[in-house]
Amino acid sequence: MGMRRVAIVGAGMTKFVRRALETGPELAWEAASRALASCDLRLSDIDGVVLGTAPDAFDAVHMKGEYLSDGAGAWRKPYIRTYVGGGTGVFSVIQGWYHVASGVFDTCLVVCEEKMSSHIPHPQGAFITIFDHILERPLGPNLLWIFAMEMNAYMNRYGLRKEDIAYVAVKNKRNAADHPAAMLGVRDITIKDVLDSPVLAWPVQRMDVSPIADGAVAVVLAADHVARRVTDKPVWIEGVGWNVDTTYWTNRDLSYPTYLEEAARMAYRMAGIKEPRKEIHVVEPYDPFDYKELHHLEGLLLADRGKAPEDAATGRFDRDNENHPDWLPSSPSGGLLGVGNPIAAAGLMKVAEIFWQLRGEAGDRQIPGNPKRGLAQAWGDLMQIGTVVILGV
Amino acid sequence: MEKVNIVTQAQPWVDRFPLTGRYTYGVAGERFFRELKENGRFFGTRCTACDVVYVPPRLYCLRCFAPLEEWVEVPSTGTVHTFTVVHQDLDEAPLPTPEVIAFVQIDGCDGGLVHRLGEVAPEDVYIGMSVEAVLKPTAERQGGLTDIAYFRPTLR
Repeated sequence: MGMRRVAIVGAGMTKFVRRALETGPELAWEAASRALASCDLRLSDIDGVVLGTAPDAFDAVHMKGEYLSDGAGAWRKPYIRTYVGGGTGVFSVIQGWYHVASGVFDTCLVVCEEKMSSHIPHPQGAFITIFDHILERPLGPNLLWIFAMEMNAYMNRYGLRKEDIAYVAVKNKRNAADHPAAMLGVRDITIKDVLDSPVLAWPVQRMDVSPIADGAVAVVLAADHVARRVTDKPVWIEGVGWNVDTTYWTNRDLSYPTYLEEAARMAYRMAGIKEPRKEIHVVEPYDPFDYKELHHLEGLLLADRGKAPEDAATGRFDRDNENHPDWLPSSPSGGLLGVGNPIAAAGLMKVAEIFWQLRGEAGDRQIPGNPKRGLAQAWGDLMQIGTVVILGV
Repeated sequence: MEKVNIVTQAQPWVDRFPLTGRYTYGVAGERFFRELKENGRFFGTRCTACDVVYVPPRLYCLRCFAPLEEWVEVPSTGTVHTFTVVHQDLDEAPLPTPEVIAFVQIDGCDGGLVHRLGEVAPEDVYIGMSVEAVLKPTAERQGGLTDIAYFRPTLR
């Protein structure tokens, strides 16, 4: 297609916390400056900047892209804000990728920020305005409706047990105990803890859901010739995919994310992947809810439909279970359920985790076996978009 | 990656972000809600090329992008496609009575409506249950989603 190869050469993040003293731009600066420092680049080496952040209402600041621009390193540079809801964190890398792949820039700084603690009393108050103002908001919706109904449809279609789904929350919160930036790492959590947590909107219970958070993450992208000068461990962006379904979720099959399958197929095609279950060595699927990780593993064609919960129960997705015949470590970072969920930043955290895993720099979270290829995925808008990035070394 | 020390007791400045909307129903929505309000009937639009009936009605087909001009009356009955039982309000306080919210697939149509279920205990609701709309009396209807009071199990 006449495009240039693009690599991720650096990554950095802030701690994810319930309430940060730092403003949004300060969080963005902290993550961006760490990402630059990680690859010994300075802001003056950056040709363009992509900023990803979810709805303005989350930070309770209008025109958040402009508000955050200085913190993202965009002063007197080409700059764009990207936003596809929860899918933003992974999509921001896709947008950075085409800036560089196209030849427009040699380097691009990609920054994602979210500061959800500004809301009183809870950002749900802002989130519910995503519902249709004519068809749904007159009911006084609760954000959890939509997820609870999707989870119920998924469970019903395949006859799934809550304990198999809860396993994901346990796995991810345990994994997060080894993440220095995590908000909710718990080493000794059990399935019973999840099943005993308060019911919010059945079948969603407290510990099935990721916590809202403040935080920022950044990565540095570079074209082939620059990447090789900057680092001896470039992590290549081998495939990207994204796809959107109808806004009207009442016109969708809620038990299977077809739009994600389309996004995954696009990315696999670009990466030349024929057998994703063998060729992907580590995966960071989007896990704002425990069932979503499983739903997404199925949509990514990494598990059979309705079988991901069963696979999880066998330990297939555990971080250190390399003797499992179909081992596929999933959310080794601890995911949104464990590290925290500052929306756009959480998606980019997943890309950063794959970057660290493929470079062997994931510390106590490092999966064994020198993984060569990994996939990060996010999901969002009105649960209608899938965004996928495949990285390789 | 080193840890960042974050102060959690930051002094807050409190301010509001007030917004009020005045929304139109749209070309298709105007007709749908007018029929609901005045005649207590549900209408959808049909795409002949794709053989799909949209409820709520759409002005265009999202599959083939054709304008939709064929209006068809559809039943006010449907099936529970999925549901949830809500136990907490937006501030995470327990609701006095858990509330059942369902996505009701309208019979013979692509799509449907999200609404409350009434006249049924939460533990008796199941996916696949047949339900029917209960409308408010004509005099109380204002031309909006809440002209439907709720859906209830179909009386047989």
